[in-house]
Amino acid sequence: MKILLAFVFLLPALGNAQDTHDHHSHEGHLHEQMVDGEKLEVDVERFDKFVKGLKDKQIAVVSVKGMVCDFCAQGIEKTFKKDKTVAKIDVDLNKGKVFIAYQMNTKIDFEKIKKMIVSNGQNATKLQVLKL
Amino acid sequence: MAFSGNMYNSLYYHFSPTYRYSVGIESVEDKFFNQQYSYFRFTYLLNRRNTENSQGNLYFQSGLSSDGLDGHFYGLHGDWETRRWFIGFNYRDVKNSLKNYTDQFLQVGVAPYLGAYGDFHTWIMIKTKKNTLLGDWSTFPVLKFFKGNFLIEFGYNDQTEWDAQVMYRF
Repeated sequence: MKILLAFVFLLPALGNAQDTHDHHSHEGHLHEQMVDGEKLEVDVERFDKFVKGLKDKQIAVVSVKGMVCDFCAQGIEKTFKKDKTVAKIDVDLNKGKVFIAYQMNTKIDFEKIKKMIVSNGQNATKLQVLKL
Repeated sequence: MAFSGNMYNSLYYHFSPTYRYSVGIESVEDKFFNQQYSYFRFTYLLNRRNTENSQGNLYFQSGLSSDGLDGHFYGLHGDWETRRWFIGFNYRDVKNSLKNYTDQFLQVGVAPYLGAYGDFHTWIMIKTKKNTLLGDWSTFPVLKFFKGNFLIEFGYNDQTEWDAQVMYRF
C-alpha cells in the first residue's frame, strides 16, 4: 500500500516530465497577435510549439465546449487528420482549443469545422484564423 | 474493452457509427452462474451537456443474450466530468434464465494533476458497487490511467477482490 501511495504521489512529476524540457520561446510572439480585434486565448507554450517550423499556413484556433478529456479529444485529432487540407493539428486541453494548420490557399469553412467537431460529440463555438 | 470483476469477465468490442449510439458484442464469462454467453449490445446517448469546463452524459444501455430472449439487460449510465473532477454511475437490470438481479455502481474521482493533451493522465477514484445477488455495497479505491488511445483502470477490495478494465480506442 505504501508503494502504491508513493507511486501515486510521484505521478504528477511523471505527467509533467516532458514539459520540463520545453522552454517557452518568445520568438515571434504569435500568440500575442490580435485576431479580429481579440487576443488569442491559448496555452502559450502549446501554441508556440505548434506553429514552430510552419510557414505559409493558416492557423485555425477553434474554441470547443465539452473537450475536457484527453481520451475523448483523441477522436477530434483522428477526424481532422482524415482531411487532406489539414497540414497539422493539436489540442490545447487547458484552454479548450483545437489548433488546425491549413494550406494558405484553403478556404476555411467554420460550418464544416463545427460538423467535424460535433461528429465527435463536442461543440465548436468560435473560430479565429491567423496567417503565418 | 476488457473487464474483470468478482461477478464476470468480459471482452467487449463496439462500434459507434455516430457519437449518438454504438452497437457491439460482449463475450461474457459469468463467474456466479458458471456460464458463458455473449451480449449483442446497443447503447444510446440520451443527453449530453457540453460546457467550456465540463461534459455530462446520460446513456441508455441494453444487451440481448446469445442464450435467447430470456437473457437480457437494460439500464442507465451517466457521468459528469471536468478536467479535475469526475462522477459517474451505472445501473443495470439483468434478466437471466436462472435468477434476475440488478447491478449498480457509483464512482467519484479527482485528477491529482492536469496533464496536457498526449500526456500520461491519472485519476484517483472511489467506487462503490452493489449486486443484488451478493447483497451489500462494496466500496474500494480505484486508479485510472490513460495515455493516447489506451486506458487502464483497476481497484481492489478484500471482499470482492479485483475490479479491472482495459480499453483501447481504434
